[in-house]
Amino acid sequence: MITAAALCPAPPLLARELTGADPVVPELRQACLDAAAGLLQSDPDMIAVVGTGEQTRAFGTRGQLDLAAYAPALALGRLDGSALDGSGLDRDPQPLPLPLGLGCRLLDQAGYAGQLALHTVSDRASAADCAAVGASLAETMARVALLVMADGSARRGLKAPGYLDERSFPFDTQVTEAIQAGDMAALLTLDAGLARDLMATGRPAWQVLAGAMGERRPASVIRYCDDPFGVAYLVATLSPQHNVSPTSGRERGGDWPQRP
Amino acid sequence: MSDGLAPAAQQGVLRLGKRAFPPGQPIVMGIVNRTPDSFFRPAVTWDEAEAMQRVHQVIADGADIVDVGGIPAAPGANVDVAEEIRRTAAFIGAIRSAYPDVVISADTWRHETGRAVCEAGADLLNDSWGGYDPLLADVAAEFGAGLVCAHVGRQSPRTRPFRVAYADVMADVLDQVQLLARRALAAGVRSDRIVIDAAHDFGKNTWHSLEITRRLAEMTATGFPVLVSLSNKDFVGETLNLPPEQRLPGTLAATAICAWQGARIFRVHQVAESRQVIDMVSAIRGDRPPARAVRGLA
Repeated sequence: MITAAALCPAPPLLARELTGADPVVPELRQACLDAAAGLLQSDPDMIAVVGTGEQTRAFGTRGQLDLAAYAPALALGRLDGSALDGSGLDRDPQPLPLPLGLGCRLLDQAGYAGQLALHTVSDRASAADCAAVGASLAETMARVALLVMADGSARRGLKAPGYLDERSFPFDTQVTEAIQAGDMAALLTLDAGLARDLMATGRPAWQVLAGAMGERRPASVIRYCDDPFGVAYLVATLSPQHNVSPTSGRERGGDWPQRP
Repeated sequence: MSDGLAPAAQQGVLRLGKRAFPPGQPIVMGIVNRTPDSFFRPAVTWDEAEAMQRVHQVIADGADIVDVGGIPAAPGANVDVAEEIRRTAAFIGAIRSAYPDVVISADTWRHETGRAVCEAGADLLNDSWGGYDPLLADVAAEFGAGLVCAHVGRQSPRTRPFRVAYADVMADVLDQVQLLARRALAAGVRSDRIVIDAAHDFGKNTWHSLEITRRLAEMTATGFPVLVSLSNKDFVGETLNLPPEQRLPGTLAATAICAWQGARIFRVHQVAESRQVIDMVSAIRGDRPPARAVRGLA
C-alpha cells in the first residue's frame, strides 16, 4: 500500500555539482529535498523510485548516478570549491539512469537508509502497462512510499531545450491540475504521442503514480511549479490520506508561467 | 610532453603575505610602474595619484598581487638606489595602508631596495635579474617575504640580449632557476615562498622565448610555482610584427599556453582580459568549475 508519494523533476542540474560555482536553482533543490524528506515521515517499509527510461525494468540498488558522464572534469578531482570537489568520485561501471540516480541522491540527502526499489518504465509503455507497474510496486510491501521522478514539457519557450511548442502550456496545466486535484485517472488519459512531441519525459512515470494510487484520490501539496529553463519542473507531495500535513518548505500554487 | 599538464600533486601551497594559494588557483599580478619610461604605456603611472588609481583598478579587475617597479628593464637613464626607493617604498606603504590583505610585490634586484620595500609592507621580491645581487635572498629570508628566481642567462641588469645562444635554452633555464631556488633556501627563504620565472625576453631572443613558452611544462614539473611575465613583450611583438599597444591578443595566446601547462602567477598589464583567459584555461584543465552551467542540463 502506498503511504505517500513525492513528485520531483529529474534534470541533471538537480545535482549541485553540475551547475558550477553558481547553485542556479537552490529553491528547486530544496523543494525536492523537502518532498523526499516528507516520504520518510510516512514511515515506509520501502521507498520505490520510479522514472522514465529506455526499458521497463528494475535496477539493483548498488549503482549510482554517473556525474562524470555530465561533467567529466569532476572525475579529475581537483576542482576548487569543496562542494564541487569530485575527488571521491568513483565511476560506476553500471551507473543508474538519471531519474533513478537523482532520486537516490535525494533520499540519501534526506537521510534515508532503508529498503529501496528502483524501477524505470519505458517511454513506449502504454498507460495500462505503466499503471500495472505502479500497482505492483504498491503491493510489494505493507507500507511503500513512492518517489516519482518526472518532467513536463521541455518546449516551453524560445530558449527551451526543444524550442517553443504552444501545446506545452495546456499539456503541463493538465498534468498539474490532475496532481493538484489528486485526479489519478486524468493522468492515465495523457496523450503519449503528444508527450513525446513535447519532450515531456515524465508521462510514463506519472502513469506509474496513478497506478500505484489505484482508486484513491490523494491530497497534494505543490512545492514548486516553474520552468526557469523552458522545462516544466513540478515538485509535489501526495498523500493518500486526506489529512495532509505538509512538511517544511515553500508551498506554491500550481500556476504555470507563460513566457514564450 | 604528454598532454602538457604537470601533475598537480607536485605543486604545493604558495604563501605570500597573508594569502595562501593552493595549486590550481591561478594568480594574477597586476603591473604598476613607478617609472617615466617603461616600454608599455610609458609614464601613465608616474604620477603618484595616477599610480594609486591604477592599483585600485587592477585590484578591482581581479589582481591578487600588485607588482610595483621603479626601474624599467630596458637600458636608459640611471636610477640609483636612493631614487628607486624614493619611487617605490612610500608608495608600497600607501598600498599596504589601503589594502591590508593584498599581496604586494616589488620589482627590484637590489637588496637595499628590497629592505626598504619590505619594511614598507612588500610580501614578494620580484627579482627579474636572476639573483644579480645575492644579498636580496637574505632580505627575503629576514622579512619572511617571497622571492622570484628568474633566468636571465648571463645578462646583467638593464642590458639587452646580444647574440645569445643556448645549446638548450630550457635546460639552461631549469639549471639557473633551480640553482637560485636552492640558494634562496640556503639563505633561509621558506620553501613555500619561492617562485621560479623563465623570464621571457630577458637574455633571450624571440625564438628562445617561444621555446620556453612551448616547453613551460618542464618548469612546472619541478614543483616550484612558475611565474610568467609575457605581457606585451617584444617576443610577442616580433612574432606578430606589432607595436606594444597592439600586442594584447598575442599576449593572451601565450598566457593561455602557459596556463594550460600549469603556470601559477601571471604578471600582466591588462588584468581583466588576462583573468578571463586564465580562468577559461583553468576550467578547461579541470581546475575550476564553470561559473554557471545550465546548457543541456535543464
